[in-house]
Amino acid sequence: MNPTVAALYFDGQSSASRPVVLQFDEPFLELHLLFAGENTMVWPLSELRFENYGQVLEIRSQLHSGALVKTEDPGFSQAFIKAMKQNKHVDVHSRLLGLGFSKLMVLALVLIALVGLAYFYALPPLAERAATLLPESFDEEIGNIVMESIIDEEEIDVEKTKVLQSFASRLRLNNTKALTFTVVHSEQVNAFALPNGQIVVYSGILDGMNSPEELIALLGHEATHVNKRHSIQMLCRNLSGYMVVSLLLSDVNGIMAVLADNAQQLHSLSYSRRFEKEADEEGLSILMNNHANPYGMVQLFEQLEKENKFSVPTILSTHPLTTERKENMQKIISGSSYEIKPDTNLSSIFELLKD
Amino acid sequence: METATNQNTSTSQNYRLEFLGKGSEYFAIMIVNWLLTLITFGIYYPWARAKRLQYMYGHTALNSERFHFSGTGNEMFKGFIKLIVFYILMMGGYMLLLTYLKSPLLAILYLYLALFAIIPFAVHGSFRYRMSRTSYRGIRFGYRGNRNELVKNFFKWLFFTIITFGIYGAWLQMNLRRYTHQHIRYGDVEFSNEGEGSEYFLLNLKGYIFTLFTLGIYLFWWQKDIFEYYINKMKMSKGETGIECHSSATGGGFFLLLAGNLLITVFTLGFGKAWADVRTQKFICNSIQMQGNINIDEIHQTEEEYTNAFGEDAMDFFEIDLA
Ligand SMILES: [Zn+2]
Repeated sequence: MNPTVAALYFDGQSSASRPVVLQFDEPFLELHLLFAGENTMVWPLSELRFENYGQVLEIRSQLHSGALVKTEDPGFSQAFIKAMKQNKHVDVHSRLLGLGFSKLMVLALVLIALVGLAYFYALPPLAERAATLLPESFDEEIGNIVMESIIDEEEIDVEKTKVLQSFASRLRLNNTKALTFTVVHSEQVNAFALPNGQIVVYSGILDGMNSPEELIALLGHEATHVNKRHSIQMLCRNLSGYMVVSLLLSDVNGIMAVLADNAQQLHSLSYSRRFEKEADEEGLSILMNNHANPYGMVQLFEQLEKENKFSVPTILSTHPLTTERKENMQKIISGSSYEIKPDTNLSSIFELLKD
Repeated sequence: METATNQNTSTSQNYRLEFLGKGSEYFAIMIVNWLLTLITFGIYYPWARAKRLQYMYGHTALNSERFHFSGTGNEMFKGFIKLIVFYILMMGGYMLLLTYLKSPLLAILYLYLALFAIIPFAVHGSFRYRMSRTSYRGIRFGYRGNRNELVKNFFKWLFFTIITFGIYGAWLQMNLRRYTHQHIRYGDVEFSNEGEGSEYFLLNLKGYIFTLFTLGIYLFWWQKDIFEYYINKMKMSKGETGIECHSSATGGGFFLLLAGNLLITVFTLGFGKAWADVRTQKFICNSIQMQGNINIDEIHQTEEEYTNAFGEDAMDFFEIDLA
């Protein structure tokens, strides 16, 4: 004989409840509702949905719209829920919830840790790899958009731009695409490279330079950012990072906003340490290939160090790194052999760039 | 039997609305939602939403009997897909206008028009779906508004709002509320709302001015007034019997609720949102007092079954407050 419990029944047609006796026929996977006067309803387990609120168990049948039975017997609830679970009538969500609070928290923390690991270690190289799949025309497009907004905002020094062009044309910068050079009239000690080959130099940084080698070092550094498509790689990295974050927060709409935002701020984008290191080292070898004094790179960093003392640095990444990067340069120079052939033409063009 | 029923209907009844949820339980629901959404790359979202609503409804009780939300993730997923299709079409049209006609003004105008056009459809769909999936004591709620009528009215009200530079917005809100509420049924119980645009406008004007002069402190009392206006204008009726609602919320109560929720959310870096939501729900339920003589044991089912979940997500998407 199956155990029976008292319950309340709502028929889905009227809001009035009436008493019913519930009998759980476990072997046949059926719930029997025994009403007074020999009336019996049979609810197959496969059609049932249930809600468990503390002591209260509410059972609804999909075959009887609106109808429900409600009981508060803990023994019955336990047996019923167990049978529902065994027969796979309980969804993943409820099963996970059944693990209990502390196990859930552990699970959540493990998942957060996994996502964190993926975010910091797996994502960047993947995203940078993805950047190589983008066509060169994407670099052009993005670079042009940013350049247009700069032309609107900044004052371009037409004369010095011409001079810088002729200075750069005398150099071998290892570039695969045509580079264009622009001088912007501004006190800021700043320079940046856009993915379409635009290299923008602020007059503030030119004024602080004492030798053409420093300028070659700067151009070599910036040209490397273009040659290695650093900004496109950073863009992919930021975007993929944002996609993970928005997934975590279930926010689907924001990705386009980030793309637009990133494109606009490409010129103030800070590259990763690795990219800066690469640009420094390639820039140094460009200096040596052009038979210029490699200490131009060291002098460039000294100017930046000086600048860092007075203002928030905007160029070549963040403050405390400058010294470290300078020391790295010194170490490489002292370990390599090079030949210096002073170019008087370059020196005289360089003088024209200074006021 | 007959005479007993008649006697019952004339005597006033007790109604007690309460929220029985706990922050820790709701937090567990949210954690599981979050886990499943993450490992399915976001696809679980509609199911997560269904779970959240099921918890909220299932823990709201009137006279110790719980409400029930029977909407499922599968239904909401369909609504979600429809919404994405609509979004793609809308953005496609926008891009087309932008690239081929090269007219950003026209494109933006089109975007706004499309966004406003969806509102009445979303309101209609949302009410139909949400009501049809809500039940209490085995009896379904229902929404019987006419979509075309609502769309026509909405655009009329929107037109007035635009030509009055937004002032008519108070009337738009109240008209919309009146229309939707008077088409809600709970079995053979009819709902209604007697909110008036003019009263609502003055209430907000007063709230705005006082808030300005008290450097924002009055904000909580303004909130209380709005809530009170919504609740006090709500009525239910069944034949000769009826229920009137009134709010017992105070400005101080709103201050404690909102300031508390802010502190909870900020100091837990957002993880405390579950507790804040539960507090809000408790506050709302405790603040709604009902008086009348409808016998809630004698309601009869009148609503047909209904299947369509478009509005459910459209509402979410455009963040329109149903309150
Ligand atoms: Zn750099």
